[in-house]
Amino acid sequence: MIKTMNLHKSFGELEVLKGIDLDINPGQVVVLVGVSGSGKSTLLRCLNFLEKAEEGTVSIDGRAIDRKKDDLSQVRAEVGMVFQHFNLFPHKTVLENIMEAPLIVKKMDKEKAKQLALTLLEKVGLSDKADVYPNKLSGGQKQRVAIARALAMEPKALLFDEPTSALDPELVGEVLQVMQDLANEGMTMVVVTHEMKFAKEVANRIVMLDEGVIIEDADPDTFFNHSTNKRTRQFLEMVNV
Amino acid sequence: MPETIKTFYEVFMNTYPGFLEAVLVTLKVTAIAVVLGTAFGIVFALMKISRSKVLQTIANLYITIIRGTPLIVQIMFLYYGITSIVVLSNFWAGAIALGVHNGAYIAEIFRGAIQGVDRGQREASLALGMNRTQAMRRIIFPQALRRAIPPLGNQFIITLKDSSLVYLIGVSELFARANREAAANFMPFETFLVVGLYYLILVLIFTWLLKLYENKLNVDGS
Repeated sequence: MIKTMNLHKSFGELEVLKGIDLDINPGQVVVLVGVSGSGKSTLLRCLNFLEKAEEGTVSIDGRAIDRKKDDLSQVRAEVGMVFQHFNLFPHKTVLENIMEAPLIVKKMDKEKAKQLALTLLEKVGLSDKADVYPNKLSGGQKQRVAIARALAMEPKALLFDEPTSALDPELVGEVLQVMQDLANEGMTMVVVTHEMKFAKEVANRIVMLDEGVIIEDADPDTFFNHSTNKRTRQFLEMVNV
Repeated sequence: MPETIKTFYEVFMNTYPGFLEAVLVTLKVTAIAVVLGTAFGIVFALMKISRSKVLQTIANLYITIIRGTPLIVQIMFLYYGITSIVVLSNFWAGAIALGVHNGAYIAEIFRGAIQGVDRGQREASLALGMNRTQAMRRIIFPQALRRAIPPLGNQFIITLKDSSLVYLIGVSELFARANREAAANFMPFETFLVVGLYYLILVLIFTWLLKLYENKLNVDGS
């Protein structure tokens, strides 16, 4: 459902992505791994056009997106994103954060948007926080709200950019739990993470990037236990699994 | 010294009916300049951060010229410039000149405030499917406005004091009134002391109102 062909992206002199071909099927939970600087976050950000690839195409549902002709807002509305630093809107309450996009982008009726937001808050276990402002939440709670906010657009797929990297260790579990629930419901997910436990247990596909190219694309068992790739072995030793 | 206090008191009592009238003119000029300046400021700030080179250049030109020349020159220039084209009272010419002047400074305040909002806010808005205008109006600008309030308040205080310069084109505001009074009562020292006090009190009231508003914002949200 999301497919990239020959994706190239540079920041100045530095070529971060060197021709990425990746085809993500509906319902897949893909974890992107790699050392820092390998290009995994950049690849993720290319998938919803927050980064502009110089070469190559990204297709959603079989249709190649043209940055100039297509309405990128519409494309992005169908692919949600969860950020490392949550990026909740600080001037809006938790409920308003979740209602915002349905109201503004989908022009949803206010009462309907509120019901949707309340349902999603219940899903992430934060019904009691509807009327507080984000600065009153813990990191784990913020990220759960951010997930609910992304879900409010009823996206076809969700992108996670290191969703637990900014969290205190004891708060990581609650966020991973919500992500696991989503995976079980069949949500298509692309996740950049250093949580190898999540990769092992929840993902059904691991994609390893190294210096801007995909060097391994395998199921978790093969990736963690039977990889013959030297760089993969080095990486796994480094992250201690 | 007691003699000075006595004359000060006399001057105060003799001038306050006229001075209070003039305070109203000062406040009106300031209010118009603040409203105009804020409108100009927002428009030029948006032009400056826009992707259009033409709009950027226009905004830069405006800001450079206004900041690079004295307010008093701008008032004279606009007064003779505008009134040679359209019929306009001295009052409006002065208020508009002050507004145009303010716009350049306020544009820089807004530009800084908008660019100071974390870029993640914009990315989150776009990722949710908002277009650039929606992201600006609903998410970025409201946060920028909060950041802009302290420097804006400062700028409004400067405007209040700068409004005294429109006395030069014959607007009967507080300073003009004091000037006339001093020439008539031969007590310039006491008279300008009194008028200084008027300005000080106006500024203190405004500072206090601003503080209340800031506190209210802090209670309402983060």
